[in-house]
Amino acid sequence: MAEDFPVVSLDSDAQDAVELLASRRLPGLIVVDPNGEPHSILPASQVVRFLVPSYVQEDPSLARVIDESLADRVADKLANVTVRQLLPSEPVELPIVNHDDTALEVAAIMARLRSPLVAVMKDKKILGAITASRLLELVTAPH
Amino acid sequence: MTVIAVVVFLAAYVLIATEWTHKLLAALGGAAVLLALGVTDSEHAFYSGDTGIDWNVIFLLLGMMIIVGILRRTGVFEYVAIWAAKRAKGSPLRVMILLTLITAIASAFLDNVTTILLIAPVTLLVCDRLGIDPVPFLLAEVMASNIGGTATLIGDPPNIIIASRSGLTFNDFLVHLTPLVVITLVVFVAVLPWLFKGSFAVDPAKVENVLRLNEREAIQDTRLLIKCGVVLLAVFAGFIGHTLFQIEPSVVALLGAGLLVLISKVPTKDYMSSVEWQTLLFFAGLFVMVGALVKTGVISDLADLVGDATGGRPLLAVMLILGVSAVLSGIVDNIPYVATMSPVVLELTKTMTDPAHSQALWWALAAGADFGGNATAVGASANVVAIGIALRAGHPITFWEFTRKGVVITAITILVAAPYLWLRYFVLS
Repeated sequence: MAEDFPVVSLDSDAQDAVELLASRRLPGLIVVDPNGEPHSILPASQVVRFLVPSYVQEDPSLARVIDESLADRVADKLANVTVRQLLPSEPVELPIVNHDDTALEVAAIMARLRSPLVAVMKDKKILGAITASRLLELVTAPH
Repeated sequence: MTVIAVVVFLAAYVLIATEWTHKLLAALGGAAVLLALGVTDSEHAFYSGDTGIDWNVIFLLLGMMIIVGILRRTGVFEYVAIWAAKRAKGSPLRVMILLTLITAIASAFLDNVTTILLIAPVTLLVCDRLGIDPVPFLLAEVMASNIGGTATLIGDPPNIIIASRSGLTFNDFLVHLTPLVVITLVVFVAVLPWLFKGSFAVDPAKVENVLRLNEREAIQDTRLLIKCGVVLLAVFAGFIGHTLFQIEPSVVALLGAGLLVLISKVPTKDYMSSVEWQTLLFFAGLFVMVGALVKTGVISDLADLVGDATGGRPLLAVMLILGVSAVLSGIVDNIPYVATMSPVVLELTKTMTDPAHSQALWWALAAGADFGGNATAVGASANVVAIGIALRAGHPITFWEFTRKGVVITAITILVAAPYLWLRYFVLS
């Protein structure tokens, strides 16, 4: 089930990571620690959340009062930022599965952790990842 | 029974003040222990306003929470705040003054926490556009909120408790506390440039960013806005005329909330989510604990003690209540403080021969507790909420950063309140 998947490190440049997400239209990225072991998943939705100013998150009606030219500059926040700073401040459980787990086990992890992808591990090494769309493709394929 | 009531009450109070446990757990836990040990019983706890839960307070808060929950969906508050910031033409000092005045006025009619939840995001937006530090602005607003909330019966929860215990009306608060708040706000605005010196430098190129904000876009539903406006007017007419109509403010608020729910057609889930159930249950727990102190005679003894300490001199009693309330409300949340002190003040008023002096005691409690809420970061719920919003926006406010400014403002506001009370109720009365 696992596919090759790009990984980024905690100290990677956020701008580069986001460009990777955007250019390959990925649902998220696997983030690894300095030892190359998976640290967390960075969902694209988390990046979007980072870009939205906190005051708009507190009061979404303020998004409408900001004019287009100012709104277009939200990506400026990525300047001089690392991937570590994009991650949620509270640590979340890492969505990983074993290479021999069944589709249902993978689905259970995705559903419980609301993650758009899971990292697939074998002997503490990342084999790749399974995205939600890849999982759906597999389970809906004719047998 | 008296010893148990005092020990349980003090233990719960320490837990609330230190936040070693959630304040709701402390209040309900304390009430549960008192009920389990027979210090109080269901008859006293649930069916007596004097020795148990004051349902007028609970339902007034519930009604106003529902009304505000629907009102905030209209975006009117954001509209006014952005409109004001644009009228200030990007001058940070003028922005601060206008936003603090809006906050103070709104706080007189909405609860302070709601006002801060509404004004803080707009403030962060304006400061972000201007490229200036929002912390002084948030501090000024939360302090204005605590001052403005003092003006009316519904402005601050301590006032609701005071009104219910004292029998003072909405109009009494308007006549006696609103003038004090107006004077205090004038002084407060006058000291802002000094208090936040160095916070008003702005790059002129960024002023245009504020002028380009479109406040009209904040209004989400004009029809809902009109409906809210009509119901709010009716509710305030009800508050002002509640003695004439012979209905309690709590009933006015509930009727207003019910009417607004009916005509707004806002989904139940939406308006019920704006009800702070934890706060209402916290009040209930507090009332049971304080009620047990009333029932066991502790409050009466405490009132005698205060009466003896002041030697029956009303002016001394008023100034003592004002000063002690200001200090203690900075240390513990002013809600539990006023819930405890109200029965004490009620006992004290019974010893006063001049009704003006009796009223002065209540106003001293209200002014002391409400203004005292500004003293520290934990003095009032609105302070905690503002600090939380600032932290999420990447602008942490430390306890001491708040307290350094808060103590100064508390001292100034109490120094305004003291001569006001003396002049109005002792010299000119």
